[in-house]
Parts: sequence; C-alpha cells; structure tokens
Amino acid sequence: MKWWCIKKAYLILVLLLILTVSLAGCAKPPQNSESSAQQAQKEDLQKQQPEKEKVLVLGYDRDAEILDTIKTAWYSDALIYIYDRLVSRDYDFKYKPGLAESWETSEDGLTWTFHLRKDVKFHDGKPFKAEDVKWTIDTIKNPDTGSPFRGDLEAIKEVIVKDDYTVDIVLNYPFPNLLFNLSNTAAGIQEKDVYTKYDDDYGTKVVIGTGPYKFKEWIKGDRIVLEKNPDYNWGPEWMSNRGPALIDKIVLRVIPDENARMMELETGGIHILRDVPETYLERLEKVPEITIYKGPATKLGYLAYPTDKKPFTDVRVRRAINYAINRDDIIQYVFRGIGQTAYGYLPPALKDEYLEESKDLAYKYDPEKAKQLLAEAGYPNGLKLTLSADNSSKSTKLAQVLQNQLKQVGIETDIRLYDSSSYTAMLKEGKQELFLREYSWPNADILDWFLLSSQFPYPNHSRWKDKTTDELIKKASRMPTWEERAQGYKDVQKYLIEQAVWCPIYVPEKIFAVRKEVLNFKFHPWMLMFNDGFDLKVE
Amino acid sequence: MEDLLRYFIKRLLLMIPVILGMTIIVFLILHLSPGDPVDLIVGPNVTPEVYASIRQKYGLDQPLIVQYIKFLSNVARGDLGTSILQQRPVSELILQRFPITLELGLTGLVLSFLIAIPVGVSAAVKRNTIMDYSCMTGAMLGMSLPTFWFGLLLLYFFAYKLRWFPISGYGTWRHLVLPGFAIGLTDAAITARMVRSSMLEVLRQDYIRTARSKGLAEMVVTYQHALKNAMIPIITLLGLRVGWIIGGSVMLEIVFSRPGLGRLMVDSILARDYPVVQGAMIVLTTSIILGNILADLLYAVFDPRIRYN
Repeated sequence: MKWWCIKKAYLILVLLLILTVSLAGCAKPPQNSESSAQQAQKEDLQKQQPEKEKVLVLGYDRDAEILDTIKTAWYSDALIYIYDRLVSRDYDFKYKPGLAESWETSEDGLTWTFHLRKDVKFHDGKPFKAEDVKWTIDTIKNPDTGSPFRGDLEAIKEVIVKDDYTVDIVLNYPFPNLLFNLSNTAAGIQEKDVYTKYDDDYGTKVVIGTGPYKFKEWIKGDRIVLEKNPDYNWGPEWMSNRGPALIDKIVLRVIPDENARMMELETGGIHILRDVPETYLERLEKVPEITIYKGPATKLGYLAYPTDKKPFTDVRVRRAINYAINRDDIIQYVFRGIGQTAYGYLPPALKDEYLEESKDLAYKYDPEKAKQLLAEAGYPNGLKLTLSADNSSKSTKLAQVLQNQLKQVGIETDIRLYDSSSYTAMLKEGKQELFLREYSWPNADILDWFLLSSQFPYPNHSRWKDKTTDELIKKASRMPTWEERAQGYKDVQKYLIEQAVWCPIYVPEKIFAVRKEVLNFKFHPWMLMFNDGFDLKVE
Repeated sequence: MEDLLRYFIKRLLLMIPVILGMTIIVFLILHLSPGDPVDLIVGPNVTPEVYASIRQKYGLDQPLIVQYIKFLSNVARGDLGTSILQQRPVSELILQRFPITLELGLTGLVLSFLIAIPVGVSAAVKRNTIMDYSCMTGAMLGMSLPTFWFGLLLLYFFAYKLRWFPISGYGTWRHLVLPGFAIGLTDAAITARMVRSSMLEVLRQDYIRTARSKGLAEMVVTYQHALKNAMIPIITLLGLRVGWIIGGSVMLEIVFSRPGLGRLMVDSILARDYPVVQGAMIVLTTSIILGNILADLLYAVFDPRIRYN
C-alpha cells in the first residue's frame, strides 16, 4: 500500500508536468487581464507594507559597484537620489541652486563664494554645514583616496570655511565649468568624516547623504532599495515638487539581459526603462500600457583613427573617410530612422556650445570626392585597413554598414570585435586603425578628455597631438564666463572639423519606456530626476 | 571505519594539487588576456598618479610571478583578496552569492530525481514497450537540449506569456520554479537513462527472482529490493554531476538574472576583476571535488562490498 501511494504521487507529478508543458504550447497570452501570479505578488506586497505605498521599480543593465560618490566611477542612479549637490541642473542644462542657495564669483574669477542652505540634515540626523563641503572636496582631491573624480576638480586650489553656512572655493585659474563639475552625480556632498565613522561598511552597508531618499537595502546583483526621506523639506527651485518625495520607495533592479528587461517592462515587473534600444521600439510601441518618451541625447557616435600613423597623418585621407560615409543611410538602417546625423563634435542638446554651422562646414556624403582625395594622397588603388568595434549588437551592425560604405570608395576593411575591456586595452596599446566610439556626456569638456595631447595615448585614442587644439581648448576652458567659454568651444569644433580629426556619424535619441502607472513623467535628456515629474498611480 | 577515514583524508589532500593547478591556469588566462581592471574603476578622466596608486594598491604593478605567489600565500591564510571593482573582501562577495547558486542547484537536483526515478524505473520494468521507448526518446530529447535554452523556453511561456512566474530576479520560491525545472528536467534526462540501465542490471539478479518467488508484491520487489541496489551507481555518478549542476545553474543565472556566483563570475570576468574570478573559481572547484568525495563515501556506506584500503 505504501509503495502504491508513492507511485501515485509520482504519477500525479509526471502528469502535471506533461500537462503544464503541453499547456504552454497552446495557451494564448492573457490580454490585459491580471494573472493569478501577479495577483499573488500584489497580495504579498500588500501584506508586507502598509496600504497604498507607492513603489517605483526601475530597470538597469548594471549594478552599482560601491554606493559612494567619491570612490566609484560607475554612477548608479541611486547616488542621485541619496546625495544632493551644491549646484543643480534643470531640464535645459541651466545651473540652478542646490545645497548652495546662491553663489558669487570674485572679479578675477578665482574665488567662488557659496551660500549654503541652513535647513538641511543628513540621513543620520546631523545638520549639513560648510565643513561637510570642505571635507568632501578635500577627500576627493586627496591622492590617497584614489577618487576617479579627482581630475575634474584640478582647478580647485583650496576650500575655505568662512562660517557654518558660507564656503569659499579658491581656484588656480578661472574655470567656469566648476558649476558643471559641482552639479555632477560625483559631486554629491557627504558627511564629514564618514570614513572614520563607518569604516569599510561605508558605501555598501551604510550610505549617508542629504537627499530625498535614504538607503535601505542592497542585494548585490539584484536590487537596491531606497525609501523616502520624510525629513527632506526642500528641492531645487525648478522642480515642481519641493518637499518630501511623492514616491515612498524606489527599487533599482539589475536585469543584465536586454530581452529580459523588455519582458519585465511589458509584464509590469519594472515601471521605467531608460536607454531603450531602437530595435525594441516597434515592439514596445504596440504595448498599450507603455508610453515612449524620446528626445535628443547628449551622446555622439563617431568613427576614429590614429592620426599619428600612416595613412591617417594625411588630412586628405581623413577627409576622404569623412566624405565616404553616408550618414543618412546609417540613421535609416542602423537606427531605424531614430536619431540625427552628426557632423560636428558635440551633440545639439548642448545648446550653448553646439556649433550650429557644423552641418555646412562638415563633409557631406560624396564618394567621388573621397576617391579623388585618396588618389591625391597617393592611394589611387584604395586602402586595406582593420575596423575595430566593441561587440555590442549596435556596433557590430554599424561596423558592417560602414564596411560596405568604405568599400565603395576603395577602402577594404576587416572587422574586429572586442569585449569592452579588451577594446580599451587595444586602444591603449595603439593597435587601432579604424575604430568605433560613442560618448555620452552633457558637457563640452568631453573634447578635453579625448583630444588634448596631455591625454595621449588614452583616452586620446585618436592619438591627436596638436598644439593648436591644445591652445584652443585651454583658452576656451579657462575663459572667465560661461558664455565666452561656449564661444571658445565653438572655435575648437570649427578647427576639429577642418582637420577631420574624427568622422562624426550619429547623435542617437534618448528613449524612455514608461508604464501607464507612472503619472506626470517628464523627459530629461541626461537622467531621471528624483522627486520631480513623476508620481506613481496607486489603485 | 578507520580505513574510510584514512581514505577520506587522502582524498582531501589530493585536492590540493588539483586546486593549485586550477589556480595557475585561471591566473594565467586572466592576466594574459588583454584588459585592465583599473581602467574600469577610474574612468577615462584620471590623472596618472591616481592610476599608478590604484595599480600599486592592488599589487598589479608587480611581476606576474610575484602576484601569483602573493595570491597563493594569502589563500593559504584564508584570505581571497579584495575585489578591485566593489572594494569589498572577495570572501564576503562569494558568501553572499554562493547560497543563491546552491539553492538553485539543489532545487534542480531534487526535481531531477523526482522525475528521473519513476521514469527510469518504469522504462526498465516495462522494457521494450511503448512506455520504455517514449521515456527514452524523451530522455534523449532532454539530454540534447542545452539547459539555458530550455530555461529561455520556460521563461517565454510560463513567465512572459502566461505570467505565472516572475521573469527575473530572486527572493521567493516563485523565482526558483522555472530555473529549477530547467535544470531538473535536463538533468532528469541523464539520470533516467542511468536509472533504467542500472535497474535492468539489478532486475536480472537472483535475489530479485527469490524475492518474487517469496510472493512479494511486484511494487515491493521493484522499489524496495531492486531500486535500493540500483541506486548505488547513480549516487556515485551524482557526485560527478555536482559540477554539471553547478555549471547549469551558472548559465541559468544569466538567463533569469539571478544574482548568484555565476553572474558574479561573468561580471567579474568582463571587468577583469581578477581577485573575484580567482576566488570564485576556487570555491567552485572545491565544491565540485567535495561533491565527488562525498559520493565515494556514500558509495561505501550503501554498498557493503566496497572497501577503501
């Protein structure tokens, strides 16, 4: 009898299995109706938490490394929510008050005085004061800390605490971009002496900021949970909600697989997805619960080459490559018509510094001219080169299209794909010929990073050592005012176009996919803002 | 019993050269492949001094052989090093992740036995019938499906289309069902074939005939007398499959976004976070070898004919 029971149990198990597997084959997806699993999930959620708690779930491809703005180079969105910065940046990239209510610059542009808010507290209850600003900047600047952000604060000579709510930042040279650097995620203000207070636990088990969300939990590789800071009683002036955040809890989930992220969004496992690949757009647009928000990104994709090596030392070859590229076709076929062609070196979203006339000055598609230039440079029979790219699906596709376009003018290419670490190593060693890059950065100083000879050989991977460029960039970046600086960067771009240092190709769109439960979502070209623009509908 | 203990200690000691060999291979593959972890932690806008100081901090500026010897002496003292990227002890990271991998592996193992034993036994008992053929065809199919692909299929139908289970993540039993079945079913295919052939062997034995002639019920004969003996070789092979199951879990962690050891390893390999990859490999190798030793010990316990001396 005993054995019969076991046999029966097995039989039922096997039958169930067969049943479920065969069901899977013929079942139709439920449309709009909530499945029992989802209901169960909801009930679980309600049991754990008080009713009507608003939880926003965001999906990312990568986890944070350490939740400490000073020590990481990978700025997880969680850092934006946990910390505040002295300066904030509105939807148009204008600099607005943050933890500093106002600031003024001395006449020589060397001393910046910041007046701080008096009503801000850290998450552990300690009031925010000028000494915290000094500690944060000094710690970043201390070489022993090994902060990746150190280079950006090179212009700062010292930080002087005038009183509890006034701080002077003294510069080595005029540097209007200080505002940008102080508004970056990396410039989140930390509590004085957090490292001595919390030791090695800081950044993984304990995270203290002044921001609208407090750190609650971090399950590495899976999720970071943040909860509303009820004591947060302000907000940058350009935000519509100033005070405690509207959403009670933010969950940042890590879902490395692109396809799984899309499915999670469609089934409601996550609410907002930023950086949606163009290829998924058609599919997501058909889902009634999802709204797509698009806008110009602060990104630029380009083809580059080592300008210190033959044949790229010859400006005619560089121009020929620029003429050989049909950017419109690339936007059409690689980006499904979403995005803009790039001719200049900065994206149009950087309104102040973008060079309007770059389209007229730059090299438009002209294969005949390309062939002619190649012949003049001594390559009438064309060239044989390697074309390197990272192994993402986008770069691979782009490389194939470029290979075909270059072939039309007689440049034969051999495509080589790398994972990102090997790609960097290859570029550092100077083994590149033609190679693909894309940058994502909301400031003109990106040109300093990639094109100053002091950055040789990496990140100046186009190996561009040029006195004129150095002078133009240095002049622009050290202008006393923001406007003059912007003008200076326009001059830099004109010169770069003329020299054909890169071959700019595309400016992609930033695409957000947002579920209908999220109300009042506002598009932001650079990041998701924490307590402005979206609120979560709760049924 | 004393023999068994001596054998056990001998096997444990034998682990050392195996792990040593593995560390050499892993160390060489990692350090000789292009890429540098420091690039990832510092970002592009780094001053040369910061770059150099980080390399020094993690000993990356020293010759390979020195780095390796240092690594070994640290391991001998129980220190697996510090993650370059996450700036936390490797042992802490592994301790966070390993239980998640183990949980999935064990679920898969239990499911595979629950499925494989009845399938294998009935195939053996009903040898050369439709039952036998269909079971074995199913098993062939299951064996030839890659685990991750099967996982993707389950994910597509049961999580995406039917929405019975979550698509990705970790935490509740519901997150465990689909990847558990993906491992369980593919592993059951192999186990079922083993159960069948082992059962066929045993069913031919004299004592089975004796049991039958005593007038015992067929079920008692099959499950109590035959299966017990037929399980011995299967349990031994179980040890060998610990590695296979861990490997399967590692693949499925990618498909189902489970934050286990496999995901940690893949992320760390891409970032060239050497200490983490090395540490994780040591833990994986050790658990696979321990699985094998355990199986051999079980063998001795189950089968009184086996003597280790």
